[in-house]
Amino acid sequence: MTMLKTFSVNTTTTCKAQDVWFAYRQAQWVLKGVSIDVPSEGFLTILGPSGSGKTTLLKILAGMLQPQSGNVELLGTPLINGTANHPDFRQRVGYIPQQLGLVRGMTTLENVLLGALGRINGGLPLLGIFPKVEVERARAYLDFLGIADKAREKVYRLSGGERQRVAIARTLLQNPKIIFADEFVSDLDLPRAAQVLTAVRDLARREKIAFVVNLHEIPLVQEIGDAVLILEKGVIVYRGAARDLALGRAHKDLG
Amino acid sequence: MKKNPGYELLNYDLFLGVGLLIVLSLALGQLGLIDAQRLLKGASNFILFAQSTLPPDMDILPLAASALVETVAMAFAGTLLGFVFALPFGFLGTRTLAPLPIVLVVRLLSGVIRTIPSLLWAVIFVIVVGLGAPAGTLALAVYTLGYLAKLYAEFFEGVDPEILEAVRGVGARRRHLARFVVWPESANNVLSQLLFMFEYNIRASTILGFVGAGGIGLYLNVYINTLAYTRVATILLLILALVLIMDVVSTQIRKRYLLMA
Repeated sequence: MTMLKTFSVNTTTTCKAQDVWFAYRQAQWVLKGVSIDVPSEGFLTILGPSGSGKTTLLKILAGMLQPQSGNVELLGTPLINGTANHPDFRQRVGYIPQQLGLVRGMTTLENVLLGALGRINGGLPLLGIFPKVEVERARAYLDFLGIADKAREKVYRLSGGERQRVAIARTLLQNPKIIFADEFVSDLDLPRAAQVLTAVRDLARREKIAFVVNLHEIPLVQEIGDAVLILEKGVIVYRGAARDLALGRAHKDLG
Repeated sequence: MKKNPGYELLNYDLFLGVGLLIVLSLALGQLGLIDAQRLLKGASNFILFAQSTLPPDMDILPLAASALVETVAMAFAGTLLGFVFALPFGFLGTRTLAPLPIVLVVRLLSGVIRTIPSLLWAVIFVIVVGLGAPAGTLALAVYTLGYLAKLYAEFFEGVDPEILEAVRGVGARRRHLARFVVWPESANNVLSQLLFMFEYNIRASTILGFVGAGGIGLYLNVYINTLAYTRVATILLLILALVLIMDVVSTQIRKRYLLMA
C-alpha cells in the first residue's frame, strides 16, 4: 500500500529530536534540551519519575505538541508548520495516550475502526458504513489480540486489560510506521504488564514498526530489554541498553 | 493551664448561609412581603378562592381534554423541531469542532433567542402565522433551539480532550470527531436534556393559549376572566395529572435507556 504519497520515508531513522525545549508556562521548562534518536524498527523505552516530562516529550515526538525550540523529524519529515496534522501523515504515526482515549459508548469493533479514519475520505463512515476490507482487518487484529469475542461489546463494559488491547488494535489498524504509547501498561499488574509489553514488542518487530513507550516501572524495562533512556526533570540522564541498567543505580536516580 | 479541646473552622459555609438569610429578608421587606396584615388578608383570600373552585365543573371535561391533547402535541412537535436544529447548532458552537467566527455567531444567535421567553415568541408567531397551535409550536421550537444549542455546545466542549486528541491523532477529520467522539461521549446528556426540555415545554405550552397560540391556555384564560373558577379548577387538575404522568414516564425512560457506566 502506498498511502504516504506526499511524504518521503527515511528508513534509517524513524524519529529524531534535537535540542528540544518546551514549557507550558513561560520560562517553566518541562524539557531542557532533549535530543533523541529512534532507529527504525527499534523499541525505545523512556523511563522517569512522574513529572519528569515523559508525556510531554512523547507528544512532541509524535507531532502533537510544538516545542518552543529545537527540531523534530518524524518518518523523515521535519515537523514544522503543521505538517504533522495532515491525515496522510497522521495515519503513519500511532499514539496511545495514558488513558487510552477510547470512546466508551461505542463497541470494541467501532473503536478499532476509528484507526482507519485517516484514509477514508467519503461520508459513508458518518452513517456507520465502513469498507469491508477495513472491518475484516479490524477483526483480524482483535482475533490476534485475543478479544474477538468482545467485538460487539461496548468499551465501558471491558476490563482494563481488554481496553488496552482495543487501543493497540486501533493503532495497528492505522498501518503505523511508529507507535508512541504513554504509560502504556500502567493499569495492569506487573506480570500482566510484562506479558502485554512482550507481545507488543514481538508484534512490532514482525510488522517492522518502531515503538516508543513511557514507563516508570524498572523491572518491566529490564524484562523488555531494549534501548532505554532515563528522563529526569526534563533532562536525559541515562542512555543505554535496558540489560545494562543497574537496578540500584536506577532506583537511586529515580528517587 | 486548662486544656482547651478546641475547634477549628475549616470553611466559611456558615457565614455564607447567614449572609444569604440576611439578603433574603432584606429583599422580602423591600417587596412588601414582611407585612402581617397583608399576609393574613392574602391567606383568607386564598381560602375564599379555593372554596369558589369547588366542586370542579366536570361538564367541560371533553372540551378541556381535547385542548390538553393539542397542548401535548404542540410541546412534542415543538421540542423535536427545535432539537433537529439545536443539534447542528450545538456542533457549530463547539470550539473544538468549528472555526471560531462560526462559533461566535452561533452562540450570539442562540443567546439572542434565549433572551426572549417562549410566551413572547408565541406573541410574535401569532402575529406572523396567525392564531392557533402552529404559532405555539413554532414558539416552543425556537425557544428549544436557543436553549438546547447552548447546552449542547457546552456538553460537546466538555468531552474528554484525551479521547479527542487520540482520535485526531489517527488522522480523523473534524466531522469524524463530531460523529465518533463527541456524539457518542455526550449522547446520554443530550437525550436526557431533550427529555427535560419536553417536560419543560409541556408546562410552558399550557400558558401559550393566553396569547392565542393554541392549547389549553385559551380556556384557562377565558375561565379566569369570566370568574368561572370551578372550570379553572378542572383545567388545573388536568394539567396537574399531565405533569405527574410525564414525570413518571420520563423517569422510566431515564432508568431504562439512559443509564450508563
